[in-house]
Amino acid sequence: MADIDTENKLVDNEYKYGFVSDVEMDEAPKGLNEDIIRFISEKKGEPEWMLEWRMKAYQWWLTKDEPRWALLDYPEIDYQDIRYYSAPKQMSERFKGEDGELDPEVKRAFEKLGIPVEEQERLQGVAVDAVFDSVSVATTHREVLEEHGIIFCSISEAMREHPDLVRKYLGSVVPYTDNFFASLNSAVFTDGSFAYIPPGVRCPVELSTYFRINAMDTGQFERTLIVADKGSYVSYLEGCTAPMRDTNQLHAAVVELIALDDAQIKYATIQNWYAGNAEGVGGIYNFVTKRGHCRGRNAKISWTQVEAGAAITWKYPSCILQGDGSTGEFYSVAVTNNRMQADTGTKMIHIGNNTKSTIVSKGISADQSKNTYRGMVQIMPTAENCRNYSICDSMLVGSECSANTVPYIEAENSSAIVEHEATTSRINEDQLFYIRSRGIDEESAINLVVNGFCKEVFKQLPMEFAVEATKLLEMKLEGSIG
Amino acid sequence: MSTIDLAPERAVDTVVGPFDEEAFNVCGKGEPSLLRAKREQGFHVYKNLPAPTSFDEEWRRTNPRLFPFADFRAGGALPRIEPDDPGEHDEDFDVVVNVGNDGYSINDRTGAIRGGQVMVLPLAEASESCADLIEPYLNGQALPSDWDKFVALNDAFWNFGLFIYVPPGVELEKGIHLKYSMSGDGNALVPQVLIVLGEQSQASILESMSSPDDASCLSIATKEIYLQPAARLTFVTNQEWGRGACQIANDMAMVDSDAQIDWITLNFGTGVSKLKLGCDVCGSGACAELDGLFFCNEKQHIDQKTLQIHSAPHTYSRLLYKGAVQDEGHSVYQGVIQARPGAVKVDAYQTNNNLVLSNGAKADTIPGLLIDADDLKCSHGATIGNLDPDQVFYMRSRGLAEVDARRLLMRGFYDEVADRIPYAWVRDQVHRHVDARLGV
Repeated sequence: MADIDTENKLVDNEYKYGFVSDVEMDEAPKGLNEDIIRFISEKKGEPEWMLEWRMKAYQWWLTKDEPRWALLDYPEIDYQDIRYYSAPKQMSERFKGEDGELDPEVKRAFEKLGIPVEEQERLQGVAVDAVFDSVSVATTHREVLEEHGIIFCSISEAMREHPDLVRKYLGSVVPYTDNFFASLNSAVFTDGSFAYIPPGVRCPVELSTYFRINAMDTGQFERTLIVADKGSYVSYLEGCTAPMRDTNQLHAAVVELIALDDAQIKYATIQNWYAGNAEGVGGIYNFVTKRGHCRGRNAKISWTQVEAGAAITWKYPSCILQGDGSTGEFYSVAVTNNRMQADTGTKMIHIGNNTKSTIVSKGISADQSKNTYRGMVQIMPTAENCRNYSICDSMLVGSECSANTVPYIEAENSSAIVEHEATTSRINEDQLFYIRSRGIDEESAINLVVNGFCKEVFKQLPMEFAVEATKLLEMKLEGSIG
Repeated sequence: MSTIDLAPERAVDTVVGPFDEEAFNVCGKGEPSLLRAKREQGFHVYKNLPAPTSFDEEWRRTNPRLFPFADFRAGGALPRIEPDDPGEHDEDFDVVVNVGNDGYSINDRTGAIRGGQVMVLPLAEASESCADLIEPYLNGQALPSDWDKFVALNDAFWNFGLFIYVPPGVELEKGIHLKYSMSGDGNALVPQVLIVLGEQSQASILESMSSPDDASCLSIATKEIYLQPAARLTFVTNQEWGRGACQIANDMAMVDSDAQIDWITLNFGTGVSKLKLGCDVCGSGACAELDGLFFCNEKQHIDQKTLQIHSAPHTYSRLLYKGAVQDEGHSVYQGVIQARPGAVKVDAYQTNNNLVLSNGAKADTIPGLLIDADDLKCSHGATIGNLDPDQVFYMRSRGLAEVDARRLLMRGFYDEVADRIPYAWVRDQVHRHVDARLGV
């Protein structure tokens, strides 16, 4: 890997996380069958019920067809040509009980990404769980969290250490029968994060998971489960990157959030998977099922996402507002350039009385990309006094891109108030002209306008993330406006 | 309508109710070859398209089983009959076309047809007497290229065909009234109407439908409207089919440069409706103003889809659809604004406001933007809510009874569109419908 630095320099402007780490891997053979699932389950040292659940999910998956309703165009995925398990060798040995060291190459990879996994170099106020291909390699900040009784670890660890909690909540928001990709994930998920915040605890640090795909031809199937018990609060951040490769890789994750009475969960994602090159070769297929369940009264779940990567994005972080007075929020910025395709949005299902939801979606499409907002707001017949406000704005940069907005609104209660507004327009020439007349060059002017366009969403992010998101956007749009 | 089993089932059937090969052979016997060819092509497409099921996205919210197709008879072409005594409001029009169970009549009241100001004649006659004129419009170019089962059905089985042509430069003073009425059980009306307005011509057309509430009848209609450069058309559809009626309609207009269409649709009738209405503003400077009102009460189900297609630069469209649902009524509104590649400097707006007046009623709204061009402005807004309690309170504090306050607010809600209707008596009908449903 002597070339890694040169390679880095070359790709720096486009995708600076595109490097490959040379790590000795412990892998499953390609393909998917019951033996593979048994292999994964065994590797993880899982209890019997987990294996049974995986098997049921697999059987269900076999009966399902891949959904094709999204405005996405991609070739057939060969599910037998994917490796469903891949772990750094030293790590998998650690899981067998020997307390091995973290592979230095993995450590280097995360350092390069700016994610220090060693405790002493930890980020101020952020506890990180780092997932490398199929396994979680390190979780930081453990003592602070333990003091408060907060459980934050990889989901494999949680299954061994806290089986009751996992068994109670896993699949309770996204059952294995939910959809094609969720079933697939349920059958083969390899790792992910688990967080449990006990009643009345305000999590003192931000929890964070960093996902890294490294191995070739590997799918990443992680599963995140966050449970906020009564009156607790947690803020969770998620980041993702992958190397630059000519082949497409599949990422099918499931995230389940559960908020009990008066609990609040903030979930932020900065998704920057490799998106393929300018001709649309390579990149990650990102098929993700994310759903939060406000199970208790006055619970609140807030999704914030910055979708800047992946060749294909199919993702609808949703809220089931069951508890009376609960609140769901969705803030999203989706940027597509080159030949990226994104079909993303949210679902707000109002079941409880006095539930509120807000949707703010900003789409920016450049080059030949396709950017679709698809959302659903549903007010159940018995849900009194529900309120939804949605705003979906799309900005077009370049003449060959497309921007679509497909919201579904269904109301069955006479006390509901639902408002939806959407606009699609080109970047505002007058604003650009005004800024330029103040002596600012065009590139910076565009960045300013785009930043203003996304401000409502960025202000939901923790400061470090907001800065990163702004930079990411600038980088993505560089040179795409002529 | 009897109880309907709504269990979804994957149908492999391509025949809809009575519309089979046998019925087709009866249709349009002895027609001019131009029309016969179109029928045959329509039947070919119809035969090869599966009947829609609730698995199709288009029909997910309106189960095709809501339509009891099997209860109807596919009839042969309606005969032309002599005009009856003049009906109410006939004096507002130059030409009145009455279409009923027994046949249709064309009443040239003011001599506009004889004077050459307008042509209103059956399709069969038009394809013989003015074949050159009609031929370019027989290929259905206004209709979306992905064939709809019921467009094909209409093409194959239409039993009433009408061609309306306003020559270039003519301003038709009073306009045309197309009056459909049906009665009795099991009758199916399959009208195909083709309207062409020549360059710089101007006309207004009112289309109205009615049937008794207890008559179970079916209408599967297709309407194509072509506006040549700088033509201007006001089109009002006043749909008041009875509760026993169900209808499927596919209407599409092509609006050429600098032409304008003002299209108002009022949907207060039928038990079940599935309507698709679209405009393609296809020449620079073209403009489409689409307005609609609807109200679903009891078990009424009205599904409307609108298309605002911009296939040329510098085009304009505006849409406002307002409606209410009450009791177990269910309304579905789906709107699409589509800007085709290269359609720059487009300005398109779409608003859909819904009132849900009682629990159990349902309003679905799906406004959509499909944008493939960059330099444009497209937006939509949709709301669902109830009458504003503050406004009701304000009026009550002025001494109005609650029912009157609600009636006034409803009138205000509907008048935003109703005020655009050029016929005072149609406006009054809108008010009557709304008042009756509010129990005034």
